[in-house]
Parts: sequence; C-alpha cells; structure tokens
Amino acid sequence: MKIVHVRRISQAFFFSLFVWFCIVSTVGDKFWQLRGWPINLFLWLDPLSAIGTALTTHTLYWPLLWALVTIVSTIIFGRFFCGWVCPFGTLHNFVGFLGNRKKSPSQKIQLNKYRKAQCIKYIILILLLGMAAFPSIDATLQAGLLDPIPLVTRSFNLLLLPILDKSVGFVSATARFYEGGWFILAIFLAVVLLNLVIPRFYCRFICPLGALFGIISRFAIWRIGKTQSECIDCKLCERSCEGGCEPAGKIRISECVLCFNCREDCKHQFIGYQTRPSLAGEITNPDISRRGFVLSLASGIIAAPAVRLSNQLGSNWYHRVIRPPGALPEEEFLKRCIKCGQCMRVCPTNVIQPGGIEGGLENFWTPVLNNRIGTSGCQLNCTACGQVCPTSAIRPITLSEKLGTDDFARVGPIRVGTAFFDRDRCLPWAMDKPCIVCEENCPVSPKAIYTQECFNTIRDGILTVKKVTENLIETVEETLTPGKLATGDYYCAVEGSRRCKIAANAENWIEILPDERFEKIPGAGSKIELQVRLQRPYVDIERCIGCGVCEHECPVSGKKAIMVSAVGETRSTDHRLLLKR
Amino acid sequence: MTDQDNKKIERRQFLTRATKAGISIAAAGIVSARLYDRQGPKAAVDAGLLVTLPDFSVPRKNGQTICIVKGSDRKATVSKAIELLGGIERFVAKGEIVAIKPNVAFASSPLLGATTHPELVAEVVRLAYKAGAKQVIVTDNPINDPASCFTLTGIGKAASDAGARVILPKPGLFRHTTLPGGKLIVNWPIFYEPFAKADKLIGIAPVKHHHRSGASMTMKNWYGLLGGRRNVFHQDINTIIAELALMVKPTLVILDGTEVMVTNGPTGGSVSDLRRADTLIASTDCVAADSFGCTLLGLKPSDLPYLAKAQNAGAGTTDYESLKPIFAAVG
Amino acid sequence: MGLISRRPGRLESGIGIFLLAILLLIGLGVFIKQSDFDMSRFGINTAALVLSAQGSKTGTEEKPSFDFPVPSGFKKLSEAETYVPENLYEKIDGKATLYIESGFVKLSTQRFVSQNDDTLWFELFLFDMAAPKNAFSVYSVQKRPDVEAFPAMQFAYSAGNALYFVHDKYYVELVGSSESADLLKAMSDLADKLTPAPVFRQENAGVGKVTEIPELTLFPQENLVPGSAKLYLSDVFGFDGLSDTFVCQYRAGDESITAFLSKRPSPQDARTVTESYYNFLVDNGGKDKLASDKNLQTIKCKVLDFYDTTEIIFAIGPYVAGIHEAKNQQSAEKLAAELFNKLSKIARTTKND
Repeated sequence: MKIVHVRRISQAFFFSLFVWFCIVSTVGDKFWQLRGWPINLFLWLDPLSAIGTALTTHTLYWPLLWALVTIVSTIIFGRFFCGWVCPFGTLHNFVGFLGNRKKSPSQKIQLNKYRKAQCIKYIILILLLGMAAFPSIDATLQAGLLDPIPLVTRSFNLLLLPILDKSVGFVSATARFYEGGWFILAIFLAVVLLNLVIPRFYCRFICPLGALFGIISRFAIWRIGKTQSECIDCKLCERSCEGGCEPAGKIRISECVLCFNCREDCKHQFIGYQTRPSLAGEITNPDISRRGFVLSLASGIIAAPAVRLSNQLGSNWYHRVIRPPGALPEEEFLKRCIKCGQCMRVCPTNVIQPGGIEGGLENFWTPVLNNRIGTSGCQLNCTACGQVCPTSAIRPITLSEKLGTDDFARVGPIRVGTAFFDRDRCLPWAMDKPCIVCEENCPVSPKAIYTQECFNTIRDGILTVKKVTENLIETVEETLTPGKLATGDYYCAVEGSRRCKIAANAENWIEILPDERFEKIPGAGSKIELQVRLQRPYVDIERCIGCGVCEHECPVSGKKAIMVSAVGETRSTDHRLLLKR
Repeated sequence: MTDQDNKKIERRQFLTRATKAGISIAAAGIVSARLYDRQGPKAAVDAGLLVTLPDFSVPRKNGQTICIVKGSDRKATVSKAIELLGGIERFVAKGEIVAIKPNVAFASSPLLGATTHPELVAEVVRLAYKAGAKQVIVTDNPINDPASCFTLTGIGKAASDAGARVILPKPGLFRHTTLPGGKLIVNWPIFYEPFAKADKLIGIAPVKHHHRSGASMTMKNWYGLLGGRRNVFHQDINTIIAELALMVKPTLVILDGTEVMVTNGPTGGSVSDLRRADTLIASTDCVAADSFGCTLLGLKPSDLPYLAKAQNAGAGTTDYESLKPIFAAVG
Repeated sequence: MGLISRRPGRLESGIGIFLLAILLLIGLGVFIKQSDFDMSRFGINTAALVLSAQGSKTGTEEKPSFDFPVPSGFKKLSEAETYVPENLYEKIDGKATLYIESGFVKLSTQRFVSQNDDTLWFELFLFDMAAPKNAFSVYSVQKRPDVEAFPAMQFAYSAGNALYFVHDKYYVELVGSSESADLLKAMSDLADKLTPAPVFRQENAGVGKVTEIPELTLFPQENLVPGSAKLYLSDVFGFDGLSDTFVCQYRAGDESITAFLSKRPSPQDARTVTESYYNFLVDNGGKDKLASDKNLQTIKCKVLDFYDTTEIIFAIGPYVAGIHEAKNQQSAEKLAAELFNKLSKIARTTKND
C-alpha cells in the first residue's frame, strides 16, 4: 500500500465526510438529516477556532477540545491536516492537479518553487490573532473570514448546496436563499481558480490555519527529508510538491504538507519520512522576520479598535441587525462567531442570513435575521441555530428558555427585537382597507398584536337616499362599484340608528343583512354614510418577541408595513425598550 | 567526525527536538485544561462579577440626625450644620478617602441652580481635609458631556482648587450590580470604581422641582451613579429613586436650599425659576432630608410618592420631626 | 536503488493499513454518533414534550416504547400512542387527575381488531405508575362492584367487556368494543402474552404472583371479602393527614365492616397520625365512647361514636390501623382486637425502624 495512495484515500474520505455533513444539516430524524451527525467536527478540529476563541474569551468551549487532538498530532507528525484531512486543501489539490497535469515536469517544478510570498499567510495569521488578543482593547474574532474550514463550510452550505439543490429539492423542499451569495461565490471561485495559476495557491499564500500548523510543526518528531546529503539534483521530487517546500534543497518544514509526493517521485529513494533532519539541511522557521512579526501584531492590535470607531457597539448601533435567539450580547458574540454559516444552513425557515457591513465591518457574514426571505419568520418552537453553533456564539438554549416557560417563567421569553408598524403603509391605518394578517399569524399566546375597531367613512361614501324598501336602500347617486361592499367589512350608517352591515350592492343600491334593521328608517333625500370596519393593529411590546412572522406575512410587499427592529432584544440591557424584560 | 560522533549528535538533536515537542504538547494540554469551559457562556453578565457598593454610613446619634440652618452664605451654613451634627470629625477620620458626589448633571452655569453650587463643594472638600482625610474625590456621571459639565458648572475648578481629585466617568469604571430584592436595579451597570476605593461618601444636591418625579433632591442625586441607558427607568421613576436610596448608604447628605428651583426643573434655564429660601439641610437620613426639603418647594412629603416608597422599604423616615431636627441660623 | 518504480516496503504498507484502519474507526465513530440524538433539542413540535397548552395532538407522533404482542386472530389497528402527565387528559380527560396524583409516569395504548370482524376491537391501556403500590392503588380504587375475579392473575378482574389487572408497576386495562366472549378471550390472550414479555420481566418473578403487596398479608384473613382491598394514596376518609392506607371489607353477618391499615415510616409518625386523625374526627363531631369489648379495653386505642357509627383507631409499632364507620360496635371491636393482635405480633417480630 503506497503511502500516497493512503493519503489520497484519506483526502477522499474526509472530503466526502465533509460534503455529507453539509448535506445532512437539515433538521430532521431521517438518516440523511441532522439526527446526531457531528456536523461541526471539522470546525471543532480546527485549532484556529479554538485558539481564536481562547484568546478573545479566555475560555475553551468544551467541544473545541477536539482541537487539542489536531494540535498534538501536528506537533508530533507535522502538517498532516493540510495534506490528509482539510477538505479545502483537498479541493485545491485536485483542481491544481487537473489544471497542471498536462504541463511538463520542468514547468511543474517551476510552479512548485518556494516563493517569498508564502510568508503572507503568517502575516495574515498574526494579524488575525492580534485582533483577537487583547479583550480589553476591543478584541474581535475575525479569523473565521479566512480560516479554511469555516470558509469552505460557508461556501458549500450557502452557495453550492442551494444552487445544486434548487432543481432537485432533495436537501430542502423549498429553494434556499442567502444574501450576498455572489460575493461568497466570487471569493470561492477566485481562490479555487487560482490553483490553475499556482497549485494550492490558497494553502501556500493565504491560509492562516496552514500558517498556524507551520509554526507548531517545528518540533515534529518525524519529518520529510533527504536520506543522503548528496543526490543527483534531478529535482523530480519537486515535480508534484504540494506545499512548495523545496525538498530538493534545504526543505522548509513549515511549508511541507506531508503529501509524500516527493518520496514517491524520487526514483532513487533519497527522500524519507524520518526522525533525523533532512541530510541536505532544513529550515524550520517560517519565513518572517522579527520585524515582520512585530509589524503584523501591531497592525492587528490597532485594527481591532479601529473597526469599532463608528461606535456601532454603543449608541450608534444599527437596529436592523437582528441576531438569532440565544445569541450572546453583541460584544461577546463577536468574540465567538467564526462566520461558519452553520446556523444559516440549519435554520428551517431560512431567515438567518449572512450579514453585510451595515452596522460595521465586524457584521460581515455574521448571522442576521431577514424576515422577508424564507418561509416564515423565526419559528416559535425551534432552537436549531443555537444547537449547531460550534463556538456557542449562539447559546444552545432549551425551548423553555426561548419561550419563557417552566424554569424561565420568571424571566420571560427571549426577544430578538420588536415589531413596529409603519402606519403610512399599513392597509387599515393608511388605506382604509381591512387586513389583519399580522394579527392572525402572530404565534405567541396571548398575541403580541391586538386590534382596535374603528369605522371610517369610505371615499365618496356619503350618498343620498332615494327609496328604502325593507333591507334595500336605493340611492340617488349611481357611483358604487357593484359587489364591492359585499365583503362583510362595510356598514351603512344612518342618523339616529345603529350602523348595519351591508350584504350586497350594485351601482345604485345597497342591501343590508337580512336580520338587521334600521331603528330609524332613512327618508328619501336623507344622507347615509358608507363605512368600512377596520381593525387597526397595535403591537403589544410586552408580548412581542420579534420573531418576524408578521413581517413575513404582511401583504404590503416590498417594504413591509410592519418591520422588526432589534430594539427591545433581551440579550442586551442597552437596547431595552421596556423597564422590565 | 566519526560515524559514532555523528550518531551521537543526531541523537542529541533528536532528543532536544523531542523534548521541545513534549513541552509544547504539555503546554497545550495545560492551557486547555485551565481554560476548559464545560458550561459555555451564560446569557447575562455572570453573577460572580456583580459588585455591591460599600456601606458608608456612620453610627446614628439621637438628636444629631438632621440639622437645618438658615443663612445666605453657603460656606457658613454648611460649616454650622456639620458642626451641629457632631463636627466633621464624626464623619471623616484621619487618613480616610472621602468621595463627594455633587449634582453635576448638566453643563449649566451655577447661577441657574440646576447643579450643586461650586462654593459648597469647595467648602466640604476643605472640611474633609481639615479632618485629616488622605484624599478627597469629587465625581459624578453627568447627563451631558462630563468634561463640559465639570467645567461649566465651576465644580471642577472649585474642587481641584480645594485640593480634591476630580474623576470623570469612563467605561472601565462601571461595574454591574443587583440590588437585593430590587425590581429595577438588576444586573445594571453603575459608576463604581471611584466609590469602591472610598471610605466615606457625601452627597451634595440642590433643591429642585422635577417634571417627572415632582422634586429632585438628595435621593434623586444618586441617579448619577447609574450607567447604561438609564433613561429607561423614567418609566417608573418613583421605584428607581426608592431603590437608589436603598442601594446607596452615604455618610452624610447636604441639601442646598439657599436658592431653590421652583419651576421648570430639573434643568431650569432662567434665574426666574429660582426662589431664595436661604436654607441648608445636613442629614444622615436622605429620606428625612428630602421630606423637609420638599417643603421649600411648597410641597408636603405625601406629594412625593418616592418618599413613602423609600420609607416603607426601610431607607429612612419621612417624619423628620421625630428625629428631633436641630434648627439654627447664621448671620 | 533502481530506476523502476518502487514497490512499497513492508513498513510502508503496514503503516498504510494502520492509517486506513484509523479512517475506518473514524467513520465508525461518526456512524455511531449519528444514532444518538435527541430531536427535542431542536424544539419543533417533538412529540410528548409539547406543552398541552399549545393544544397539539401528540398521541401518534412519538415512537411507542413497547412493541405489543398481538393476540391470535387479531391484528393491530392504528399506531400505538404514548401520553405523559402533561397531555394525559387528552386521552382520558378528567380521570387523568387520579392517575397523576398517584404517581403516573406514562401511558401506552394500542388498538387491536379482529381479522374476521372489524366491529370487534379492543384497546389496551398500559399505565406505568412508577411503583407496584401506585398501580395497585389506581386499580383498586377504580374496581367496579360486582365483577368477576380473573383467576389467572393476582390482582385482576373482568367486567363484561373489559379486563383489568396489575402487574408490577403497571396498571393494565383492556377495554373491548362490546361484551363478547371472543373479545374477552383475545384480551386474556394478550394479557398472558404481556406478562412474561420483556417489558414485565422481573428478577424474582413467579408466574401469577408477581406483584407483592406485603400490607395485604397484614390483615386478618377470616371473614375477609376477597378482592376487596383498596389502597388510597391520599386524602383517606376525607382527612389529608392520612395517606397510603389499605382498606378491606369484612363480612359480619349481613353487614360488612371496613378495616384499614397504613404503614408509616416510624412508630413516632404512626402515633402522630393517629392523634391527628382522632382530633380530626372529634372536630367533625366524633365523641369518645367506652369500648365494650374487654379485649379492647386493655389496649391503647380510641373508640369514637361518629354519627351513630363506630370508629376505632390505634397505633402499634409503625402501623396506624382501625375500623371505619362500623354499624355494629361489637363486631367492630372484635375485628379491631384481631387486627391489633396480628399487628402486634408482626411489630414485635420485625424490629425494623
């Protein structure tokens, strides 16, 4: 069994596992649905998530302990994760292979030369860790933007899967949408296609996780190296070198991803995986100078407060950033969110969307509720998002904590915001049209939307009586639209009488309901008023939890007449609307 | 180099590397163990991080709880009042750190009576140092911009001229607290650090009419200790004032009724909002002080619901007569 | 050292296999993990965890814990249903209170229909009452009068269209659509099948005498009306200080006498309860009277006249016992003396608590 074959099997295995996890991330108990599948396994194995959150929060959230396995294995064996496990790496490996296989050996050797630019990934790593390092100076976790595991998870779940599944409808019965998907595509495509320029472009030049592994693999017990100090220098070993680490000369241990291609390609068996350093010499340190390190770190430390200069975590917060229920208060949230998109993937109603930069740069690709997208607002009896969040940026709350029942009856339900009416757009408020879709759909009990009845005279609604026969009133004017008043919402008001409901009408007559009577029959020439019965809706802010179902169902399409705003969310004392939660 | 030597060197190198690897692994393990968090983050600020304001009160002395001095010179009336209550030595011991909390809420001129008069602040600072205080701090968490408030009210200069240290509010100086049994002050940020280090606390407030609560005097003065979006408490103003009176236990409060703001409180804006009453009250019981003080506004204690609330909660008594108030006059 | 492509060495192959084995283990681990799940974590209307206030029908959604055996000639009609305390009333409405107050845990039901005649069907109600005592209690307090004992089981009886019995911590009702011998046969067939089934398996099970209720042996056996024992768990005789009390009927001439007994946690407690029950009776109009039976005069007991009936109460060891509302004082006292003697023998021999 050749070791390179084993490596390829391993890559295929982990890649398939990863894709399978992406497919099954739909809430349900069928085999191809969520069940107990450990869909966060790759995210937990990723030490950058663990180290990042450890720096920002000074805690190690328990599932992230998996990262210790990766770290210890890397310290002992080297960057095996990059060459054997990482699904993104496998993708790059494969695309690079496809793109370059027709090239001649000397061209390939040229492509796999070590380049100074490979130090950029270390700069990126130090920058990201610098931004996370000092909680007292606005630590923020932005490692998730370029960390390959969240990146590839995001790209698959929010981009490839929805597109591929749109016509098949296997993973999700309805089409899934994700805002700003084009940008995720752009980055994904760019990075994958760059493999056609230089193989494993991302791994060599950008990947901060690879950089991290490069740093901690310095003391690896076993390493790739030459078994003899002199060889014929044919450089065939560098023909398929994945890491760009130059095994032909002084091998750069920090770049070697343990693909074993060099060992396979060397016809003379001069390359081995051994405990002694390469007999042709090796370089263990990553290629950044002390100055480079200090500059990167300083930049990171300055960048963190810099992105907060617009006070978007203070009084200048953006009210349409509505976080999922169970999300930590904003500052804590930003210390944990690795922008993996799992919550967006799993949300059954598709309302959790990748955020944009409204509300600050840190908002980018964090989960934000958009009630217009998807099948309904935030479903009342659902706690899926918190259950899948790998770092507990959204806490794994129980249903009773979300609804404010049982143990949580004293503190009440979790609110993610409050709904506000735009009375200039709302049908009963501004257009004299009856509508209570919002009240009907409000899922909490008692409802958070209540109505007050009012009667308005309709346009051109004052008419003159010609003749009254039993329940039929003939009018002098012939301006009515036939049937328009027959919906059960219209009433005829007459001086001295209770108003009566209209059952039918034509251009010049109206008929009231058979069992209604006017106390005072209007005489010929008197006026009647046609009125519409409106139920004008109000939000009860003590009950509203901001779920957004009303916003989703409101028939005033485009810009809705009721919209949820994050004010009143229970996770933040600053955004409180009421005195008590 | 013989093969033997080479091998030795290699082995040594290997062992060095292996040791370093082992140390790295151990370090990773230790750090993970120390940071390991089985619970995950909780919803609100951890109860373990809550603070409680110290109790700054001094022992009661019958007949020396509340003192009312009439006079137009603040320096003279306050000295007299403190003297009659047992002298500054009763309140400040040698070597102590004294915090003074005046009303610096608005960036307005002392003429308008919306804030504590700087002369009064300076005099109390002076008295504290006379009693041997190690340091006197003057601080508040104003509504308007803090730096402008301390400057335009004259309190900043008066305090520092008298040798006190002015502390402006900064985010790092706030900590969360919960009032035991409180309904509103639950997990709420308060301006904490300057007071945490102090041994004694003296509140100094003017007598003002207030649109929302009826009056703003020594109890409402503690509103300045609240952080966060504290305006939300205006929805239940009487409860919050009562809870503040329970949360803060000062050494002494001074209620300045020399010029009383009778209308358009709490900001006032014109000297015509003021009326001269030439009265200064010093008291160890805020509720009693406010109960007497409201009479200067032409009110009765029963006109201010927060007084009864505070009394029922045990923060003090509205029946100031029962405390045998000392009346005096100066000049 | 040749120019031909290399064959992997033994070591390389060995390590390769080893690594593949690790991959296999990982795959296996993932596969095992996927079956260990709890859908209620995700909320969304999972079966019996939805609060009944939200009014959703949960009966058919949860997987039944039991796969019930099917009596011969019958087949299953509809899915099995499961109910928990929160939604028990959806199945049995007002009766739910009795069960819930008696320690109810879970109800599993299943309907069966005859293969030949679909008007002939019955429903099995399997109440998990958490303890044999509780099961016995709900069984005994609901026991219909004028029923036939069902000899195959220790605590069982049949009414025209139904079969009721207790087995260990379960109370079982089999209720038929009509009074039919065929149905009854099928139901007893099912009862037979159920009792040796894994669901009921107990370490010390003997066939037929599986449920041991020790207190029943404490009652004197002479003149005891068989099958009359009832266990009331709370509010016994209208008094909330008396709980966990067994009540049996005795024949005395044409009349019946009611005897009761309750095992308390300690003799102290027994004395306290006796005292409070006595006071309760006095407060409600009971009057002390002298015992006419000289046997009774020697023992420490209270005899009361309660609206022309005789009440006798005494405590012996950890037991509170007596006679309740007897019409004939002599018979009552005689029975009381017998009961006392039996209990004192037992209290002497068993020196527990």
